[in-house]
Amino acid sequence: MTYSRRTRAAAAIAGAASIALLASGCSAAASGSGSGEDGQIELTVTTFGTMGFDDLYKQYEDENPNIKITANNIDTGGNARTDAFTKLAAGSGLSDVVAIEEGWLGSIMEVSDQFVDLRDFGIEDRKGDWVDWKYEQATDPDGRVIGYGTDIGPEGLCYNSAAFAAAGLPTDRAQVAELLGGEDATWERYFEVGKQYHDATGKAWYDHSGFVWNAMVNQLDEGYYTADGELNVEGNAELEERFGWLADGAESGLSAAQTAWDWNGGKSFVDGTFATFVCPGWMLGVVKGQIEAGGGDAATGWDFADVFPGGAANWGGSFLSVPTSSKHQEEAAALASWLTEPEQQSAAFAVAGPFPSTLEAQEQLASEGTADEFFNGAPTGQILAARAEGVKAQFKGPDDSVIQENVFGPALQALDRGEADGSAAWQQAIDLLGELVEQ
Amino acid sequence: MTSTLSRTEAPATPPEETRPRRGRSDLTFRQRLSRFDVKASPYLYISPFFLTFGVVGLFPLVYTLVVSLYDWQLLQGQGEFVGLGNFVEVLGDRFFWNSIFNTFSIFLLSSIPQIIVALVIAAVLDQNIKAKTFWRMSVLLPYVVAPVAVALIFSSMFGEESGLVNNLLGLVGIDPIQWKHDTLASHIAIATMVNWRWTGYNALILLAAMQAIPRDLYESAALDGAGAVRRFFSITIPSIRPTLIFVIITATIGGLQIFAEPKLFDVTSAGGIGGYDRQFQTTVLYLWEMAFFRQNFGEAAAIAWLLFLLIVGIGMINFLLSRRIASAETRALKKRTAKRLGEHQDRASQGLVGEGAGVEDRGNA
Repeated sequence: MTYSRRTRAAAAIAGAASIALLASGCSAAASGSGSGEDGQIELTVTTFGTMGFDDLYKQYEDENPNIKITANNIDTGGNARTDAFTKLAAGSGLSDVVAIEEGWLGSIMEVSDQFVDLRDFGIEDRKGDWVDWKYEQATDPDGRVIGYGTDIGPEGLCYNSAAFAAAGLPTDRAQVAELLGGEDATWERYFEVGKQYHDATGKAWYDHSGFVWNAMVNQLDEGYYTADGELNVEGNAELEERFGWLADGAESGLSAAQTAWDWNGGKSFVDGTFATFVCPGWMLGVVKGQIEAGGGDAATGWDFADVFPGGAANWGGSFLSVPTSSKHQEEAAALASWLTEPEQQSAAFAVAGPFPSTLEAQEQLASEGTADEFFNGAPTGQILAARAEGVKAQFKGPDDSVIQENVFGPALQALDRGEADGSAAWQQAIDLLGELVEQ
Repeated sequence: MTSTLSRTEAPATPPEETRPRRGRSDLTFRQRLSRFDVKASPYLYISPFFLTFGVVGLFPLVYTLVVSLYDWQLLQGQGEFVGLGNFVEVLGDRFFWNSIFNTFSIFLLSSIPQIIVALVIAAVLDQNIKAKTFWRMSVLLPYVVAPVAVALIFSSMFGEESGLVNNLLGLVGIDPIQWKHDTLASHIAIATMVNWRWTGYNALILLAAMQAIPRDLYESAALDGAGAVRRFFSITIPSIRPTLIFVIITATIGGLQIFAEPKLFDVTSAGGIGGYDRQFQTTVLYLWEMAFFRQNFGEAAAIAWLLFLLIVGIGMINFLLSRRIASAETRALKKRTAKRLGEHQDRASQGLVGEGAGVEDRGNA
């Protein structure tokens, strides 16, 4: 009696399991978009951070009455990465238009066939709109173009003029640029001035090594990968030399060993813990937020100089792509194209601050030269336009972000905290590379 | 009416069996329906659980096992069949063992104090105190707060440079503690979050079990001279044994699956490594890193399965241990009773029973 009851229960479980299998087999649902009645087309858009599109969506809907836009904005690029990857892995759920960040573009390029070739929708006619390297970045090895460039992240140098004054350094932004070498600014000069500053004040020169390292790597012709996609870290003299500069800097007390994205709740920006900070265009908003969170304001003395050690550098920037799973590829491409036109990029910059990737919008910002009161009246748009000149597209491999975060992150922290010297930390990074990245 | 008839014929067997065999076809549709109802309905009533479990529990479990046997990249999808290759890789990975160590350390630092404190709180709430509901609700309050919010608040409190905890420690002259860099300190900080959130919840579950203990047990124990502590250990604990086992097992499962707290405790670790040198990377966090940052879905699935097996194993050990502890209590009690009884009989045989024994008992209490 008991026996038979048990077998029947087992049969019930087995039945339930097979139903479950069936159910999951049928769950390949259509993507979120669809055509409503009266020919209305609903387009879904997923963006992240502050891209400044909200008003533009309304404008587009007004100009195109048959389009309805459902927008979803994810708080950070990192979370957007997880979201996009999960949906790509699941094979469903991506929006009609998806924002992709440069940092994980390398992984996306591995599956670029999941995205529509935008040449089919006339992106080639707009090629001249963008700075050439932006267009190049969105081109996969087969020559397919999978993204409309939105913003870029040309890097300038943020500095605290009050801290500079205390060390007897010039405070005017043109003089600061000159002090660091102007057009020919080098990292050697940057560290040299940093040591002067440290000798005068006893304080750190930059917040932590990670961001400086990131800038150094990004401005090289080839970063963690060679142009043809080979891993290029071990035995890379350029990288090792730069790592050595950072080791020397940390040893000389130039690094404040801060926790990035925390900066002691923004207080470190206000209390003079460090004097300089690498600032891609989008970082200006972050700096402003941190200073305010730390209880500071425009009077704290942060300024933005038209100079960057080692030459032009870019950090970040995004693209709008259309996945092949979209049911309305043509309309989605049209929307993405429109959102990245110079006029719309200027509008987005005015609202949220992402620096435009189109030449026309950049020229407009340069000629306007609007002063940013928070940064001591610096014409940030104009400076960024100047900083964008000479940036080259660097090949980003599939594991670029893993190498940046999980391989060099721990090693650079060990440097900053004085737990390892230059060669030990470099060895730590190489060991981690061997363990974390398939070569 | 048939039953009366059949009972006279064969009273020992069920009525249906003894009826003249007319075959199934002789049953009316209604009869068959009602027979089906009796037999199948119970399964139908419990089926929603099994269906849901099948979809969200069993299927992912089996599918994860399938994934773990392939070289499977997050974006590129299924690759070659590698058998147990992923398991071998994971078991030979020092970061996996590091994550296991961290998970256990945080688990022990959280579960043990949590259950002890929950027991004490429940015992106190079980007494006749004023404003009972108020106290009970207060105890549950931390549980209502979303874990992410808890993690963010505690992450700020355990800030190294100007966090609340280090400021308070500074007042009594203790040097700032490296909550996010020192391994043990970070484990204590994370365990604190877990304890803050779950102690009250466990206390309420234990309280519910304690309320079900018949009060006269306590009364008679008190009359026999058992003090509050003795009553707690000899009556309360053995009586709530099943609930205690439940609490311990759920705490084990939750503790070994800890993720949100370590993930959010360190704002910088975009790569999910839990502290710059993996000081507090738990196994689930390692799984997350493997699946969504390093994009090695096959190895991530292997980690998931190893963790599953580990939790089942630890759950079994816990179950056996807590049963042993509780039954050891009963064994000891029986022994003591037998001893007392023996003494009593000895004394009785020596003619000492009477007022003297009563005095001695009171003295014991």
